Amino acid sequence: MPGLLEGVKVLDLTHYIAGPYCTKLLSGLGADVVKVERLGTGDGVRWLGPFASGGGKIPPGPPFLEGGNVPEDGAWFLYLNTAKQSLALDLKSHAGRKILLELAAKADILVENFAPGGMDSLGLSYAELSQVNPALVVTSISNFGQTGPYRDWKASELNLYALGGLMNITGEPEQEPLKEGMPLAQLGAGQNAFAATMAALMYAEETGEGQQIDLAIAEYATNILENALMQYSYSGQEYSRVGNRGYGRAAWGIYPCADGHVGIIAGPDHRWPEVARIMGREELSDPRFTSRAGRLEHADEVDAYMLPFLIDNNKVDIFKAGQESGLGFSFVATMKDILEMEQLLDRDYFVQLDHPVAGTLTYPGAPITPEDSVEAWVFRRAPLLGEHTASALNSWLGYSEAQVLELVQKGVIAQNEGT
Amino acid sequence: MQKPPERMPLKNYRVLDLSRIWAGPYCTKLFADMGAEIIKMESLSVYDSHRGPVSPARGIAAYPDGEPGEEPWNRNGWFNCLHMSKYGVTLELTEAEGRMVFEQLVSISDVLIENFRQGSLERLGYTYEELRKHRPDLIYVSMPAFGNTGPWKGYLGYGIGQEQLSGMAHMTGYRGDGPMKSGINHGDPITGSHAAGVLMAALRHRRRTGKGMYIDVSQQESAVALMGPEVLAYQMTGEEPERRGNRSGWYAPANSYPCAGEDRWVTIAATNEEQWQRLTQAMSAAGLADDPHFATAEQRRENHDELDRIISEWTISQEAYAVTHLLQAAGVPAGPVLRGPDLLADAHYKDRGTFVTVDHPQVGPKQYPGIPWRMSATPGRVRWPSPTLGQHNRDVYGELLGLTGPEIDLLEKTGTIGTKPTGSRII
Repeated sequence: MPGLLEGVKVLDLTHYIAGPYCTKLLSGLGADVVKVERLGTGDGVRWLGPFASGGGKIPPGPPFLEGGNVPEDGAWFLYLNTAKQSLALDLKSHAGRKILLELAAKADILVENFAPGGMDSLGLSYAELSQVNPALVVTSISNFGQTGPYRDWKASELNLYALGGLMNITGEPEQEPLKEGMPLAQLGAGQNAFAATMAALMYAEETGEGQQIDLAIAEYATNILENALMQYSYSGQEYSRVGNRGYGRAAWGIYPCADGHVGIIAGPDHRWPEVARIMGREELSDPRFTSRAGRLEHADEVDAYMLPFLIDNNKVDIFKAGQESGLGFSFVATMKDILEMEQLLDRDYFVQLDHPVAGTLTYPGAPITPEDSVEAWVFRRAPLLGEHTASALNSWLGYSEAQVLELVQKGVIAQNEGT
Repeated sequence: MQKPPERMPLKNYRVLDLSRIWAGPYCTKLFADMGAEIIKMESLSVYDSHRGPVSPARGIAAYPDGEPGEEPWNRNGWFNCLHMSKYGVTLELTEAEGRMVFEQLVSISDVLIENFRQGSLERLGYTYEELRKHRPDLIYVSMPAFGNTGPWKGYLGYGIGQEQLSGMAHMTGYRGDGPMKSGINHGDPITGSHAAGVLMAALRHRRRTGKGMYIDVSQQESAVALMGPEVLAYQMTGEEPERRGNRSGWYAPANSYPCAGEDRWVTIAATNEEQWQRLTQAMSAAGLADDPHFATAEQRRENHDELDRIISEWTISQEAYAVTHLLQAAGVPAGPVLRGPDLLADAHYKDRGTFVTVDHPQVGPKQYPGIPWRMSATPGRVRWPSPTLGQHNRDVYGELLGLTGPEIDLLEKTGTIGTKPTGSRII
């Protein structure tokens, strides 16, 4: 079976990060995902480097790059658009909108992440879409949602992280609040959009009733604050930045070691003697340190006793020393570490995909693995811009070669003639 | 038990939920939000550690006003924000009677989910093969830290560890400094959300084929899946990603800037030329527009320290919300760094109903994060507060399994079920 969602048709109007991660999960599970891209330039994330052909240099982003061919080999586009088909279409033209509505009539799901109001201005409001297909699931992902006073605010990941409450609790107390390195608000919102879309699809298939999902990235962030929000709600006490130490904990965080950084997690109090033993310091067995509260009170002293061992040893050795003693130690993996990680290699996690421009690269595979017999996931490279214009219009709408050519000549659609 | 909701996407599905802490519970939270019937099963000797210790010290902020009360395990905010609209039961799987009841529960459930240490359920004799004897089309989701195979399968992992082992922490941190953890256990909700979507796809597959399946979740793999672009970038450049603090590799400025008040900050990002121009106009007094040091994006990136200094001088005497409103009106991405009280009072979140007030019998009315998205046809709502330990034993074992009153009494008498912890759990 070619994927768990074989036969599900997805009309993908997403671009950049949050929307494409949602539809990547759908295409990965075998849904027939047709990504509608802007003529000439495509998804903006195509212009985001680094590029396979660009050597080591990170080039400027899309707003600053003018002219030239559409890049086909940017790391972000390649990863976020695996197993999708690309249909290059001018949505702003009358004929383009008509084609889009024909596609929407055939689709089970439409996912978009335009700024709120963007679909309306294209004449593709939810009311217009549901008129041609009442069972259609329309998933709208945006920074702040389709309603509310901040609806039209502009935001980058940085601002979403701040307004979502995650930033206030990340970083050192005496320094500026920090965002994480990866755009995890956008990616996480894309994940949740996938779950929301699946729920609405199941409902639509049972009842024939489609609907619109309104998913806000900032709101997603507020949903995963866990105790950082709850302790204020419960007791009025604010949660603050604690750097690399766990909140209200000691010997619980990231520490330097000989070849990088490790994560020490002291675990429950009855396991503390194991930590002391691994660190090879009798002083750590001092009764002052045996309880969580005691360690917190003497956190600097505890750190000072642990550091000599840590500085002398390598991250993987420390990680395994902890794990072999039943402690949940970790280490800070680099990209190289990830590609070489014995656990991931043993589980055949990675997939190699060959791309006509980018060549063969190693991609992280399925985030979750159902048993082999199900063949839940499909793995195909990301599409070239307009690579599937003709085939998608043919398979979804039965357009002939002549019809496609005419639309190309009129500038409504574009086809990639191969690289 | 309550009647299932009329219009909710997953109202026809029952999930037997043995998961704990956050990764598994976030998955079943999303299911509960979508109307599924979640039976959260705990042991009286080892209940979900998010409930906290049996006898915690006073003053811990996770309890209402820092007061643990008579039954602290029912008053912990960590737990109570993740299990709303779920049923709560207890059962001791080490007792023969408990096993019989468990097998009956399996037989009426569509899904079994657990995130024990790898192999725990198997050691109790419950392999997928064995479970399927009780429910042939069962979907079994097993989510240990590193999956159910491989040399690390028996290793332990927490959300904080997955941030590190996925490479997320490697990329997070101030420029020139070491890696930094996030403020949450970020690996957990990532796994929970992935699992929720895939589990729905599996249920849909079962609806079409009649077949259940075994789903092996490695929390680590789930986290690495979000690192894909950087894994590819490394292969392209041969260079590890830099820690950039709040800066961008593509545009400038981007940072959090100090504002009036203690620990008050505003984030500002000019992601393109137009936004930069608008920012310089909004801060016209600073003279940025004519400064040749900042004429191009490349120069702004190169002179970012100087740019940060100038912007900080401009923000430091202003309120974070005021700077935000000024810049947003000019079309520049900006946002205050919101703290707990700010979030609950924020006009936008109030307008959207992002946080909901739920009245818990042992806590009283408090605010919680609600359903994380809006749906036009099946809006749903938080239906009831998180269950106290064993709160729904009688409902579930009586109404769903058809046990009689005396049979349930006997289970209580033998300690197979109950509402009071038997261990002195320490976390």
